[in-house]
Amino acid sequence: MRSFWRFFSSVKLAIVLFVLITLASILGTLIPQGQSAAEYAVRYGGLAGPLASLQMTRLYQSGWYLALLLLFALNTIICTLSRFGPKWRKAFGPVTGTDAQGLPAITVKSRFRLPLPLAAAKERIAGLLRSRRYRLTESPAAGGIVLLARKQRLGRFGSDVVHLGLIVILCGGLTSGIGGRRSDLALLEGQTAEVPRAAFSLRLDKFETEHYPQGGVKDWKSTITVIENGAPVASRVVEVNHPLTYRGFSFYQTSYGWDWATPRLGLEIRKRADASFSKAVSLKVGERVPVDDADVSHVSVREFVPDFVIGEGNKVRSRSQEPRNPAALVEAWKGEERVFAAWIFAKYPDFGQGHERGRSALSFILKSYEADQFSVLEAARDPGAEFIWLGCLLVIAGSFLAFYWPAREIQVVLEEAQGQVEVTAGGQAAKGREAFQAEFDRLFEKARRPS
Amino acid sequence: MTESTLFTTAFALYAGALVGYSASLFARRERWAGGGLVLAVIGFCSHTAALILRTAASGHAPFTNMYESLSFLSWAIVLALIIFGRKPLGPRLGPYLMLIVVALVALASSPLMPKGAVPLVPALQSYWLWLHVSVTLLGEAFFAVAFVASFLFLAAASEEKKERLDALAYRAVAVGFPLFTLGGLIFGMVWAYRAWGRYWAWDPKEVWSLVTWLVFALYLHTRVVLGWKGKRSAIIAIVGFLAALFTYFGVNYLLAGLHSYA
Repeated sequence: MRSFWRFFSSVKLAIVLFVLITLASILGTLIPQGQSAAEYAVRYGGLAGPLASLQMTRLYQSGWYLALLLLFALNTIICTLSRFGPKWRKAFGPVTGTDAQGLPAITVKSRFRLPLPLAAAKERIAGLLRSRRYRLTESPAAGGIVLLARKQRLGRFGSDVVHLGLIVILCGGLTSGIGGRRSDLALLEGQTAEVPRAAFSLRLDKFETEHYPQGGVKDWKSTITVIENGAPVASRVVEVNHPLTYRGFSFYQTSYGWDWATPRLGLEIRKRADASFSKAVSLKVGERVPVDDADVSHVSVREFVPDFVIGEGNKVRSRSQEPRNPAALVEAWKGEERVFAAWIFAKYPDFGQGHERGRSALSFILKSYEADQFSVLEAARDPGAEFIWLGCLLVIAGSFLAFYWPAREIQVVLEEAQGQVEVTAGGQAAKGREAFQAEFDRLFEKARRPS
Repeated sequence: MTESTLFTTAFALYAGALVGYSASLFARRERWAGGGLVLAVIGFCSHTAALILRTAASGHAPFTNMYESLSFLSWAIVLALIIFGRKPLGPRLGPYLMLIVVALVALASSPLMPKGAVPLVPALQSYWLWLHVSVTLLGEAFFAVAFVASFLFLAAASEEKKERLDALAYRAVAVGFPLFTLGGLIFGMVWAYRAWGRYWAWDPKEVWSLVTWLVFALYLHTRVVLGWKGKRSAIIAIVGFLAALFTYFGVNYLLAGLHSYA
């Protein structure tokens, strides 16, 4: 137990852990994280297997990385505890082992004589120190008095507060990792979905995409109603940067998309022979619509993709869910015989006709394509978040205490000598030595001046 | 005056300050360093006006793309120079810090950087943009001061100079570290939680700011607890600044992640 304590109270261990955690974290940015085995095989070849078994591909969640963090936490706790007692005594304890001979070793010092009785000299110096907000502790010494003046004592504990904050943050991270739950809810307008592991549902009333006048998306807004026990209880607009929080769950606007499986399409049919002929039809994928023509009895759309691209094996697929290059595979029928089939493109109306697989007296233009838009909301429950904010507050409070509230300490030894009082003073500041030196000099300049 | 005139004026004045500081360095005339500081201060005022005009015109915080954030970072470094320039040996930092500033401003002015104020994508529309970026870059500006002081420490010959430069580097870290902790890590976490629903995602930029933080934490612990000073501290401060620089530039261009916009 003792050797355990000694091992973890060592600052050398802390240094080693700082370096190891730093190097491990860097490694995780050089190896892409959380991708599929196939992607690693392409990237690293024969090394992919060993990398995966060393958990390099999920490094920040790996057992060994967490073990490093755990060691770091233990080290921080034990280092802080083992130094806390002596620090406390230094800040609040009584005067220990001071004499006028020891003080000159301190850099900030002063020595002079006051032609006053001991009690009056003490009152004079104590009054000056108090006026600078020093707290005094007095103790008798051989032939005189020792005054210990301290201020900004909490500054000594800045680093302890930071350490406590870091431990709270690590606990929060652990809590989030174990108890955190997130899932995506994709909702069409008017649709209601149950929130997993919650006793309420969400209904999407409206989804809007706002654009800037010069193009570019300004905002995505989902109007959401919370439904509990069958009744609406709250309604709010969820935007990026403005989540909805309800009963420990937060809902974030994360994505959006279109239900391209069932688009409503509009076709314009023209006759090659007759320029004045134009007919508009609206249809769905798989639906056959009659056309009044000698050569073609029906027309249908077999397939629709929002962002046409020819992928591997000459197969048509959609590059994305955005309607960047909407295309429909149109078929024309005469009875049960297919007389014509071609991909037509909304943005390139003249292009598709060249790909026809059969001759047709008709030509087709994809005029409109509409699909229901859905909004994707992330439902997140993160029980660790509160710990994180508390930890952050402690880290900040501690940092500012440590760096901007430096503890100052002045020791004054008063000794009676030949009817006068020999005053020896020495001071120390944890930080900001110049400012302290100036304060110290002003104080004792005043003290030695005859009143 | 337009924003770009003011920015160009600031650029010219910074270049003048660099010349003044360099002249004082090579000709060993202290007064020229004073002239350098005066030019830097006037340039700083012009630069401040440029940032204000840009904010007023675009309606959002002036650090949403590389041009804007470079401009703000160089502004912050000049601010740090003005603050540290009056400390003992502070003027010695002048030529090197101004060299960094002029390089950053030149990079910002290069045709590679699109300068137009673009409308904000939804994720950036938040007051946390102000808090997160400005405080982080301010912290990094003080790391730049620590970097230059540490570099000069390694080059300095006299013991007295070395001691002062060491103290200067420590002071700069003592100002930069809390700012970087607050702006880079904590405000970043709060904003990430509001925008993406998670305070920490192990995104490369997040990891690299953690790395920067760990290096400076190492600097403080070795110094305060183990009493390291001088050469070893200087090397850690230099590594820390390089890590901060990589977090700022390298991650955007070399590693993919959530922070792709800035």
